[in-house]
Amino acid sequence: MNKYSIGEFEEVVMLTVAVLYENAYGISIKEEIENRLERKVSVGAMRTALNRLEKKGYLDSEFGEATAVRGGKRKRYFKVTPLGKKVLEQVMQTRKQLWDSIPSVAFDFKFG
Amino acid sequence: MSKDLQISPPRLPERFLRWFCSPQLIEDVEGDLSELFAERASHGEFKAKIKYFLDVLLLFRPGIIRNFEIKNGLINTSMLRNYLKSSIRNLLKYKSFSSINIFSLTIGLAACMVIFLFIKDEKSFDAYHEKNIYRICEVQSFPGTNTQKVALSMPGMGPTMTDQFPEIEQYTRFWSWGSQVVRMGDRNFIAEKVVGVDSTFFEIFDFELIQGDKSEVINGPLDAVISKEIALRLFDNIDAVGKRFDIDDDEYVVRGVMENVPENSHLQFDIALSVWASGNEVEAFNNRFGSNFLNTYLILNEEADIEALTAKFPDYMVRVMDNPDINDIYTLFLQPLSEVHLASSDMEHDYNNYRKFNGQYLDVFILVGVFILIIASVNFTNLTTARASYRSKEVGVRKTIGAMRNQLFNQFIFESVLLALIALVFAIVLVIVALPFLNNLIDRQLSIFPFLMDIEFIPIALGITLILGIIAGLYPSIYLSSFKPIVVLKGLKNQEKKSIFRSSLIVLQFSLALGMIVCTLIVVEQLFFIKNKDIGFAKDHIVLIEMNQEMQDNFTQMKEELLGQSNILGVTASGQRLGNNFHQWGFKVRKDTGMLNLTPSNVHVDYDYLDVYDIKLKDGRTFSKEFATDDGLAFIINESFAKELGFENPVGQKAGHGWYPNDSLGTIIGVTEDFNFNSLHYKVNTLSMVVHTEWGYSEMSVKINGKNVEAALAEIDNIYSKYVTDYPLTYEFLDDHFEELYKSDQQMGSVITIIAVLSIFIGCMGLFGLASISIQRRIKEIGIRKVMGASLKELMILLSKGFASMIFIAFVIASPITFVFMSGWLENFAYRVDINPFLFLIGGAVALIIALATISFHVIKAVRANPVSALRYE
Repeated sequence: MNKYSIGEFEEVVMLTVAVLYENAYGISIKEEIENRLERKVSVGAMRTALNRLEKKGYLDSEFGEATAVRGGKRKRYFKVTPLGKKVLEQVMQTRKQLWDSIPSVAFDFKFG
Repeated sequence: MSKDLQISPPRLPERFLRWFCSPQLIEDVEGDLSELFAERASHGEFKAKIKYFLDVLLLFRPGIIRNFEIKNGLINTSMLRNYLKSSIRNLLKYKSFSSINIFSLTIGLAACMVIFLFIKDEKSFDAYHEKNIYRICEVQSFPGTNTQKVALSMPGMGPTMTDQFPEIEQYTRFWSWGSQVVRMGDRNFIAEKVVGVDSTFFEIFDFELIQGDKSEVINGPLDAVISKEIALRLFDNIDAVGKRFDIDDDEYVVRGVMENVPENSHLQFDIALSVWASGNEVEAFNNRFGSNFLNTYLILNEEADIEALTAKFPDYMVRVMDNPDINDIYTLFLQPLSEVHLASSDMEHDYNNYRKFNGQYLDVFILVGVFILIIASVNFTNLTTARASYRSKEVGVRKTIGAMRNQLFNQFIFESVLLALIALVFAIVLVIVALPFLNNLIDRQLSIFPFLMDIEFIPIALGITLILGIIAGLYPSIYLSSFKPIVVLKGLKNQEKKSIFRSSLIVLQFSLALGMIVCTLIVVEQLFFIKNKDIGFAKDHIVLIEMNQEMQDNFTQMKEELLGQSNILGVTASGQRLGNNFHQWGFKVRKDTGMLNLTPSNVHVDYDYLDVYDIKLKDGRTFSKEFATDDGLAFIINESFAKELGFENPVGQKAGHGWYPNDSLGTIIGVTEDFNFNSLHYKVNTLSMVVHTEWGYSEMSVKINGKNVEAALAEIDNIYSKYVTDYPLTYEFLDDHFEELYKSDQQMGSVITIIAVLSIFIGCMGLFGLASISIQRRIKEIGIRKVMGASLKELMILLSKGFASMIFIAFVIASPITFVFMSGWLENFAYRVDINPFLFLIGGAVALIIALATISFHVIKAVRANPVSALRYE
C-alpha cells in the first residue's frame, strides 16, 4: 500500500497550491479550484484540508503583508514542501502504473 | 471596490467565528472571509451576508474549532478559587446578612422540596400499572334527584362492551365485599378487604405476584389470591399455593400469593376471590343491567380513540338495556387510570378509591412553591444591592487590576449560586429534620431519603438551585459590576437613591405573603364552617360497629342490653353509613294524575334512627313499633324530596319502592328537615328512609356519653364479647369518618398555612436586614433631627412610613387577586362561607404589624441613641 495517503480533494488542493506558486492563499486557491474544476468549494472545507496538509508536513505557510481589502488581516501564503512534492509524485506514479497495466482490450468499446 | 469597503461583514457570525476559531487560524480565515465578502457585496449586500453566515457555519468543524477544555480549565480554576475565597470572606465578614440570605433561601428550597415530595407521592398512585387501563364511569340524571358522577357500573357492562367493541381488549370487574371472617383450622380472623374480581384481573393490573401465574390464579369460582400478610396470618408461611381456607361455608384454594397492595394504589384489597364466588349464574350475571354496584376496568388497544368509543355508548345502552330513553338517565364515560386518584373529587359512590385526592390542589402547591422561592430570592436581591457600597472598593480594585465587567458579573453570579448551593445543603438537612413533624400534620409518610440518590431528583434540585441563584443574583451582579473604578476608589459614595426596583420587589414580596395569609384565613374559616355547621343531625360521640352475622342474629337483645348501660345514650342501626351519598333506587307515589316514579337516595334504618341521630321532624311522626305497617310500608322523606313530590301535604300520601305493585303501596308518615347526609361539597339530595327489619343492617350506631368515652367503650366491648365469639370488636367514630371527607381540603389548608407563615417570616427577615441598612445610612440625619428637637414619635413615623406605604400598596394589589382566586376555591363547596372583607383587613393589619414590629428593633435603637455618638466625628 501507499506510504503517503492523501484524498482526492487534498490532492487537488496541493496541486493548485503548486500551480499558483507565489500567490497561493485562501481565496486564490478556492477560486482557482472553482474555475479549473468547475465545482463549489466552501471556505470551511478548504481550510480544513489546508490545515491537515500542513500538519502532515506536505504544505508550509507564512504570513504576507496586511492589505486594506481584508479588513487589515494578513494573508497566509502556502507552498508545497519537498515532502509534499514527493507525495504528489507518488500519487501520479501509482496512477500511471495503473494506467499502464490496463490491457488495451479493456477500453476497446464496440458500440452497435 | 473602495465604496464597498464601507460595508463590513455581519457582526453576529463574525463574533461567533472569533469565539470558536482556533487562534492560529483566526487571522487569515477572517481575512479570507472579509475579502470574499467584499467581493460578493459588490453584487448584493444581503446575499453576501447570507453567504458569509453560511461560510462561518461551515467553518464550525473539528480542525478549526479551538481547543476549549484545556484553555478554559486553566483560567477558570484559578479564578474560581479566588472567587471562592472572596465569597467566603464576605460571607463571614457580614454574618447577619449572610445568614438572612442563606436562611431565607434554605426555607424556600426546603418548602419546595417538601412540595415536590408531596406531589411525587400523589403522582405515584397507580403509576406502576403499565397497561392502557380505563374505568367505566357514569353521569346519572335520575328523575327527582341531583345529577351525579358515579364511579360504579353494572355487571353486564364489562363483558358486553368487550364483546361489541373491538378496541376493548379485556375487562375486569372489581366488586368489594367488605370484611369477612377467614377460617383455617382453629384460626379465624377478619380480613378487612375482600373483593371479587374477574380472571383477567392480575393480567390487567400489575400487582406483584410472589407465587402463581398472572393468567391462572383466578380461574375457578373458589380460587383465591391472598396477600403476603394474610398468608402469614393463615399459614405462617408465604409459600401458600394449594392451601385451603374458609369464608362463610365455602372452601377456597390459594392459587397465588401477592405482595401486600402498596399504599399508593387506589384499589385496596387483601384477598381477591373470583366474582363467581358470589354464586351468580354466569350467563345471567354477564348480562345483568339496571343496578350499579361494582367497578369495571377496561384495557383499550393502542389505536383506540376514546372519543369515538364514547360516542358509541348511547346506542350501546339502548341496545343492552332495551330502553330507547335510557340515555336521558345515563351517560357513560371512560376515566383513564391516571386520573382515578387525582381527578375524582367530584365523583360520588366512589367507594374503591383509597386516599382520593383533589388533584387541583397539586397545582396550588406548585404555585405557592414558586411564590416562596420568589419571596426568598427577593431577599437576596434586595440585601445585596442595598449593601452594594460594602463591595464597591473591591469592584474598584478588581477593575483597576484589569478585571472586565463580565468577569465581575460572573464573580457575583458565582457568589449567589454558591450561596444557593449552601442553602440547598441546609435545606436538605432541614427537610430531613422537619419531615416527621410535617408527616404528622398532613398525615403522610413522605421521605426524602429515596430521592437523595434519585436520577430525577438531583438534577431537578440542582437545576432549581442554580436558577434560583442566577435569578436572585442577576440584578445585584449587573449593578455591582457597573461601578466605575475612579468613582468608588476616590471614596465617593455611589449616589444611593431610593431604589424603585427594590421597593417594587418588596411590594411583590409582601403582595404574595399577604395574599397567602388571606387565603389561609379564608380556608380556615371555610374548614371551621364545615366542621361546625349544623348539618341537621348529631354526628359527635357516635360509635359505628360493623354488623357481622352474630350481631345480626342477636341484634334485639344486644340493643336492649346496651341501652341498659349508664354511658350509652342510644342504639340504632342502618343499612348505610352517613357521610356519603346513599344508594339510589326507584320510588313511586300516587298522584291524582297517576303514578309518579322518581329515584331518590334511600336508606333503611332502625325504628329509633331519627331519635338517636337527633334528626328533626317537620311534619308527621317517626317510625314506631306500634304500627305493624311501619316495617316496610312507611316512609319518612326529607324536605327536598317533599318539594320534589309537589304535594301540598305529603304526609299520608301513598308511596312505595319502585318494585312495589301499585295496589299495595305504603304511606309517607313523616317529613324531616333537610340534613347533610352527604359531604358539604354537595347539595342535599332527595331522600327516603324506611324500616325493613328483614333486610338486616350493615352497621350499628351507638351514641355514647361524650364525657365518659372510655367507660362507654368498655361497656360496648363487654356486651359485644358476650354475643360475638368469632372476632374482636372493631369500631370507628362517625366524626372521624366525616373528617375523612374533607381530608384533601384539610391537607391543602395545612400546607398553605405553613407556606403563608414561612413567607411572611422570610419577608420580614428581608425587611429586618433592609431596615438596618437604610437606618444605618440615615444615622447622622437622625442625630441632627434629634438635636434640632424632633420627638421620638416624629422620628419613628419618619423612619417607618416608607415601609408602611409599601405594605399598603401590596395590600391594594393582593386583595382583589386573592378575592377572585378564593371565590373560585369556594365554588368546590355547595355549602360555603361568604368571603368576609374583614378578613382582608385582618390580613393586611397582621402583615403591617409584623413588618413594623420587625423594623422597630432598628428604629427604636436608632432613635434612642445619643445623637452625640452619631455626630461626634463630623
